[in-house]
Amino acid sequence: MEYKQQNDNALVDMIDIHKYFGSVQVLRGVDFHVDRQEIVGLLGDNGAGKSTLIKVLTGFHSLTRGQIYFDGEAVDIESPHDARELGIETVHQDLALVPLMSIARNFWLGQEPTYSVGPFKFLDKQKMASESIGALADVGIHIRNSEETVGTMSGGERQSIAIGRAVYFGKKLLILDEPTSALSVGETQKVLDYTIAAKEKGMSVIFITHNIRHVYEVADRFTIIERGHKLGDFYKSEVTETEVADMIVTGQIPERLRLYDEAVGEES
Amino acid sequence: MMQAYLENKRDASNIGTFVTFLTLGFAVLGVVIAYLVAFGWMPLGERANTLRSDINIVETIVVIASLIYALCCARTGIGLLQREKSSLRWSQWMLFITIMIGAAILLSVIIPVGLKFALLLGQDIDLRAIINNDPGVSDLAPLALSVGETLIGISLFLIALLSLLTLMVFIIPPLDVLRRIDGISMIVSPPRRLIMAILVVMAVGVICILIAGAFVVPLYPGMTTIRAADNHRLLAGLLFFLPGLLGYRFVRQVEEESDELRRAIALTPGKYIRSELAKSPSAGAIIGFIAIFMSFTMATDLFLEPSSVASFLSNVATKGIIAIGVTYLMISGEFDLSVGSILGVTALSFMNFMTHGAPVFGVMEPIPAALLAIFVAFILGAINGVLLITTRIPSFIVTLGTMLAFRAITLVAIAGGRILRYSDHHDALPVIGVSNLVFMALVVIGLGIVGFTAYRVLPVWYRQAARAWSIRENNGDFGTTTAIVRTGIFLLTLLVIIIAVVWLVAVFSYHSSAGGGQIVEIGYFGLFNGRVQSIGSEGDFFHMSIPRNANVRLAIVWWFIFVAIFHVILTNTSFGNSIFATGGNEGAARAQGVNVDRVKLQNFAIVAILTGIAAIYETARNPGVDPLKGEGWELEVIAMTVIGGALLTGGYGSVVGSLLGALIFGMLQTGLVLVGIESRLFAGTIGAIIIAAVVLNTLVRGAQRN
Repeated sequence: MEYKQQNDNALVDMIDIHKYFGSVQVLRGVDFHVDRQEIVGLLGDNGAGKSTLIKVLTGFHSLTRGQIYFDGEAVDIESPHDARELGIETVHQDLALVPLMSIARNFWLGQEPTYSVGPFKFLDKQKMASESIGALADVGIHIRNSEETVGTMSGGERQSIAIGRAVYFGKKLLILDEPTSALSVGETQKVLDYTIAAKEKGMSVIFITHNIRHVYEVADRFTIIERGHKLGDFYKSEVTETEVADMIVTGQIPERLRLYDEAVGEES
Repeated sequence: MMQAYLENKRDASNIGTFVTFLTLGFAVLGVVIAYLVAFGWMPLGERANTLRSDINIVETIVVIASLIYALCCARTGIGLLQREKSSLRWSQWMLFITIMIGAAILLSVIIPVGLKFALLLGQDIDLRAIINNDPGVSDLAPLALSVGETLIGISLFLIALLSLLTLMVFIIPPLDVLRRIDGISMIVSPPRRLIMAILVVMAVGVICILIAGAFVVPLYPGMTTIRAADNHRLLAGLLFFLPGLLGYRFVRQVEEESDELRRAIALTPGKYIRSELAKSPSAGAIIGFIAIFMSFTMATDLFLEPSSVASFLSNVATKGIIAIGVTYLMISGEFDLSVGSILGVTALSFMNFMTHGAPVFGVMEPIPAALLAIFVAFILGAINGVLLITTRIPSFIVTLGTMLAFRAITLVAIAGGRILRYSDHHDALPVIGVSNLVFMALVVIGLGIVGFTAYRVLPVWYRQAARAWSIRENNGDFGTTTAIVRTGIFLLTLLVIIIAVVWLVAVFSYHSSAGGGQIVEIGYFGLFNGRVQSIGSEGDFFHMSIPRNANVRLAIVWWFIFVAIFHVILTNTSFGNSIFATGGNEGAARAQGVNVDRVKLQNFAIVAILTGIAAIYETARNPGVDPLKGEGWELEVIAMTVIGGALLTGGYGSVVGSLLGALIFGMLQTGLVLVGIESRLFAGTIGAIIIAAVVLNTLVRGAQRN
């Protein structure tokens, strides 16, 4: 089956994504795109397929069918490492940090700075310590000591570090998977600030949540997934918070929006 | 925090009371130690070896210092009880004196003990003295300034560097902080001369070790009469040093927490101790090691005899090498029950290659046979890893299966399950002829290592010293101590490097004067795991040669070298980082682009290769292999690793921990026999220790989670 990119200017364009786990069809033909410097809220009830869609994009799962375009080119993302090479940074819901490792080591995990002694490469611990503190301070996270283990920190602090790391390393796209689910009100607000900071840095952001209240404030557009299908894309100017919340719960597009959505469907 | 306590604030009273009573306890301790030393219960210095009624200089100093110390402690404690502000000044002195006394006493033990071993190693080591002094090879030429000495020279150089680093870690940070605390609360100028004295003593120690290794020159008076009474001095040193250091760091931490960070939650003593433990994966093992070491040294004089130390080191060296690999694997969240069987297969195939021959190569020489056998081990490890990755079965099941399956190889496939003896097939043990050009090449490599270290380290330490002096100039007289210490370190390093270079050049000129083509013969088995023994007769070398009954094996040296290499890999490379991440949170590691499967596969290969190397050493020690070789080792090695602080669940552990775990294991094995406890209790004791170690680990993890 031949695919072609649908949205020419999009940073990410995922077309006709299918993902089956054995006989379970988790994604059944989802189209999803993210424009440049755009914050997209990816919404849906538990089990709708949001996380699977993102794990396909970040190389955790392989595609059953479909095609991904990144930066205008067709790409095969086969591992998280590939996704990182492309400039995609992800903050996973439960896979963010290693609790028994220090902040600095967590921060640099997978791309540690090294210096060479002959053929051997050793960790540049000074750089690891100073740059992780500096980089986290840039996004407004102040840590005391980069040698502290992550396990000693609160959930909010951990989430902040994971996001700070993603913003620091992310070149093009930042994906936040349920970043606010375990946070207090104040911490949630901080996460939203980081999101905007990332956008101002020139990145696009995918913000996954099933809680519309957290994302409504910052997102430019909402994509709603419902049982493996895409319900639709809605710009913030077109919908109210309540309407989006209803759509997530009921899986139905309100009368007012239905016509518009069908029209879009005919165009493409 | 202590300030708050003195101002009678309620939230600080817990810690304040703790510190107060700790201080008073130290006062009592000081008096007790002064009493013990003064009345001969704890002999120090020369007197340690002889029965005398008078008291010597070392003891006099210690008695007076302990009394002053006790006074300081008492004064501080009482001051704190009455909430006197000035008592903090006393506490500074008290802790400072503690550390200094402790360091002095420890040095008086460490230097002679270090010297003892340095002298042992500095002697002509007979690498040809293979297994139980085999007479058949004794007609070979003695190996003066040979490979053994080159190895030892390099390791002595590393030891000296290490002691310098220890000096930096343990002496300098407290000094810096002392200054800083002084700056904040009061001005007490640290006793500069005392520090200078300590530095000089340490410098003498380092120089002694080096010179002893290089030229064998007696420098330390009284070193001819060193006996097991060193134990008491060690004990006294530790009694001073450890509580002092702990107390000092506690107060320091408390000060930092309150003055600078203003944390909402007050630091309690329990939390403090747990967080201190949490900083090192091998904390439990360190505590266990000190406790067991001290118990045995107190219980019996035989324990520190060279022959006991040699015997327990030799017994655990090969298991310790395997434990390094098992630690790697355990940190990455897996473990391996099949190491015992891999050891059996490797040992048996090694022997088989040399006696019956390998399929393609025929009967092989020992070194190619060893390489091929290690390759066989690597294949077995790779089978483990591939099975785990492809089937996703827990490693417990996979390696349980391969443990039984690999054992079948030794029982059926190789030599029909019979015991293989080298002597049944060959008349003489194998020797290798080495041109002295090889030794010259080794020297050049050694010079390269020394030169490179100098190139990396010297400029940095010089710059630090220069900076310290410039800081001093900008602050009036305020940074003098730090500047002196930093300069001392720079000069000591320079000295160490110069001596190392001189020694290596001497070795080189020896060999070059002997002419290019001279062949030196070394026993193969001796090189792998020979028995190190002095050529001279017992007791004629400053009364310090290795007793004939001491069983010092070369594998011990290999073991320490492996520990050093793998420790650096684990803590200082990105591969090490990914091992920790793989075991700590596999999903997170994968998400950050770590190839988790490859890490696990590599670790299985590392375990297998180290097991293969251990098998070669075992075979070299006793060249007769039975098919059940290594049975039961897997659990012993896992026990060592767990005692050493590695978590079965992964993500935590250290190579140094595995070293300590193996040492604890060995000390118990030998020590229980020496104190006259039935050796049948050994398994039970190890069991209790494992449980204690795991409980400690859980405490550590608890400290890290909250």
